[in-house]
Amino acid sequence: MTDLNADLAAPRPRTGRRVLPRWSPKLAIGVGIIVVIGLWGLLGPFLVGDPEAIRDMGLTAPSRTHLLGTTQTGQDVLAQLAYATRGSLFIGLLVGVMATVLSALFGIVGSYVGGLVDEAFSLLSNLMLVIPGLPLVIVISAFVPASARGSWTIAVVLAITGWAGSARVLRAQTLSLRNRDYIQAARVAGEKRWRVIGVELLPNLLPLLASQFVFAVIGAILSETGLSFLGLGAANSATLGTMLNYAQNGFALQRGAWWWFVPPGLIIALFGCGLALVNFSIDEIINPRLRDIPRRERRNRRRTQRPVKRLDDGAVLDGTVLDGTVLDDAVPDGTVPDDGAVLTVRHLSVTYRTERPVHAVRDVSLALRRGEILGLVGESGCGKTTLAYAINRLHRPPAEVTSGSITLHDRDGEDLDVLAFDRDELRAFRWDKLSMVFQGAMNALNPVLTIRAQLDDVLTTHRPSMSRGERHERCAEALRLVGVDPRRLKAYPHELSGGMRQRVMIAMALLLEPQVVLLDEPTTALDVVVQRGILRELLRLRTALGFAVLFITHDLPLMLEVSDRIAVMRDGRIVEEATAEQIAAEPRHPYTRHLLDSFPSLVGERGAFIRAGEDERSQAAQPPAAASDDGIAAEAETR
Amino acid sequence: MSAILEVHDLTKDYRLRGGLRRPVLRAVDQVSFTLTQGRTLALVGESGSGKSTIARILARLEKPTAGRIVLRAPDGTQVPGRFYRDHVQMVFQDPFASLNPFHTIGHHIARPLRLHGHDRAQTARQVDQLLERVSLAEPALARRRPHELSGGQRQRVAIARALAPGARVVVADEPVSMLDVSIRLDVLQLLARLQREENLAMLYITHDLATARHFSDEILVLYRGRVVERGPADEVILTPRHPYTKLLAAASPDPLARGRAGIGPDEEIGDEIDAASAAATYDHYTGRWTRPQA
Repeated sequence: MTDLNADLAAPRPRTGRRVLPRWSPKLAIGVGIIVVIGLWGLLGPFLVGDPEAIRDMGLTAPSRTHLLGTTQTGQDVLAQLAYATRGSLFIGLLVGVMATVLSALFGIVGSYVGGLVDEAFSLLSNLMLVIPGLPLVIVISAFVPASARGSWTIAVVLAITGWAGSARVLRAQTLSLRNRDYIQAARVAGEKRWRVIGVELLPNLLPLLASQFVFAVIGAILSETGLSFLGLGAANSATLGTMLNYAQNGFALQRGAWWWFVPPGLIIALFGCGLALVNFSIDEIINPRLRDIPRRERRNRRRTQRPVKRLDDGAVLDGTVLDGTVLDDAVPDGTVPDDGAVLTVRHLSVTYRTERPVHAVRDVSLALRRGEILGLVGESGCGKTTLAYAINRLHRPPAEVTSGSITLHDRDGEDLDVLAFDRDELRAFRWDKLSMVFQGAMNALNPVLTIRAQLDDVLTTHRPSMSRGERHERCAEALRLVGVDPRRLKAYPHELSGGMRQRVMIAMALLLEPQVVLLDEPTTALDVVVQRGILRELLRLRTALGFAVLFITHDLPLMLEVSDRIAVMRDGRIVEEATAEQIAAEPRHPYTRHLLDSFPSLVGERGAFIRAGEDERSQAAQPPAAASDDGIAAEAETR
Repeated sequence: MSAILEVHDLTKDYRLRGGLRRPVLRAVDQVSFTLTQGRTLALVGESGSGKSTIARILARLEKPTAGRIVLRAPDGTQVPGRFYRDHVQMVFQDPFASLNPFHTIGHHIARPLRLHGHDRAQTARQVDQLLERVSLAEPALARRRPHELSGGQRQRVAIARALAPGARVVVADEPVSMLDVSIRLDVLQLLARLQREENLAMLYITHDLATARHFSDEILVLYRGRVVERGPADEVILTPRHPYTKLLAAASPDPLARGRAGIGPDEEIGDEIDAASAAATYDHYTGRWTRPQA
């Protein structure tokens, strides 16, 4: 059953979305600041004296009795600060909750329901967006008589002016989520609409909601401070803004009374900073790529950047014990030079340095001969794409070549060490000597540039001496080679079909007549008829131009048809390598056999397949489905 | 063997945005078929042939522009619309997208059970039973979340979910195309076994001729929303009559056809199939070509 996969899946990092942010220094500092200020706002007022009490001492600097000094009228600044913090936090929290509820209502419900409701809701939020927020707040506050301007009024005004931005963010996310299969599946199961929104959709929006909430709180505290500073804040309430307002009116700055205005300013800045830090951590859940790699690992990586020179001698690798599942004699030992080879990979290992390191490519040796098609067959996660990227030196941190060598045997007889290239050498090597057609290459073309501009770009970079006319001629010729009308040079990618775009990508890869072309699942996304046409073109070109192809795919039957030799990769290792005929006639590794059996023949016998409509006799004759797998697993283990 | 689901002249038009005339794209054009207890019907076609649209209409995720869908109870009477989902369920293509990352495996199977009239105690028992039936008998699996499972395991969960309401019709939309090749057959075998055990009617939607032939009893070949060939699975694949079916068969990779790469269809589909033959349907049961009435 899945046991073949189970071991593959195990070392793979968990890719699912987390509900809670990862504990990081950023988050710790952010939460620390928020907790301290929050506690101060909550408990501070009980610890200090009456903030309103007027003493006949005027403006005094901090002292033992008044830790933060006093105001113009002799009021204790520390006491005021405690009450003001409480007031600001209260308004911030209130507005945060109200604005988030409003934005969720208008953003999520509208876009899920769709139709007129969505149109109306998004019109409303767009209107709210174009109305400038703070001026509106000022106008509204100014119209409400000062006596009726309590904290709640101010909070409602701030919430009404502040929800629209996050409603738009939530709407966009909901629009993308509502078409996910799991939402559709819930509908097929018969879930009611409110349950689909509340139970299936909303939890997946939680990180986004949380970050919008934090954002709303910051915005509210700042806006309220601004309003109060202008004297438009809540009447009879103490917030950090009113404190600053009084300080301003009391000429604190001019009189050098820093203790009056610095503490409230600092609290606002620190609290905003704390919330922002928390928001960073929430963003990392939404987009895991933002997560930074701990610095310690980064340093390690730099140290092990160039192990190649050392390993080139081959001495280090002699002691390597190959894993039992690899057919030792079926895989050529890369240390013996292959005369006809154009590309040799020796004992290459690539590791993803993540929390739990993933050894994506383990001790792989390959020799690609001039003009041959080598099929690299494996399933998802077996490391075949990582290998291709490493050969191109396109792998990026956290991926890293930990050992081995890659050598290109140039046409003029020179051997080039790919891993030792510096930037300029690498630029000259890529595309000129070795080019690649990427997975999903149909979408690899830039949508805003014409085909011609994109082909031309390759030539201007690599053949600076070519004239404009020559470049045009060459581009047209390349298109003609892959069976695309050169008139399509003027076309934009969206004007071409998927098959044509793929042909253009192949033309681009062949533009500089490289010696090696890497094809990473070049036809997987295409329909079979289109795939057939492209493959035929490729075979014809290979005969005409004589480049070697490393063809990466999961489709073993396809490889049996088109390639000369086949390497089967599993779990980072090449488990078997042989000519296509040998693989077809007598596969030796159980995994290869299993792969072969996985593709029922179109015209041949039905094999182990049981059709549902068949009678009981034929069922009894068949072994249960799991048996064959268990056999392989057992076999692979005993080897 | 009785008909469960009858589809008559199903048609679906999509209005394209833009342009004053609002052009219409006909995704499905007068498709009719019948799903029968214990038998599998395969819908075969390439991208854009309308096969997924048919699946979505059958799952009531979209409304057809024209045509009728009749669901019959075992006694032959028509099942009223509000009970439709008790009988017809769907397995989605991408097991990585069809399970909610936030919820546990148990939730995914318990919800349909609860929705279709099981109480709490029954549900807990049934969840375990269902997981066992799709060969996922690991302890505590129900408490795990989708990202902890492999693609094959996820698809098994999705199958268990489709069976949970006691469905008699299962629409499987490319159920294995997103899975690793080495486990595809296992999942298909599982579907076939469950079908036998439950006597399900199955609609298997695929672009893969080989599995369509081996897995189903009857095949409908779709081309641009229309059925161009229909008949028993082996006949359609081994002796195709319509030029499009021939083209598809010739282009499919076949492990037995080593060295055949140079052969195959010349050009892309559009050139090969002229309008006249695209509009004609070959029926292996009657042995006759039919054309739609104007």
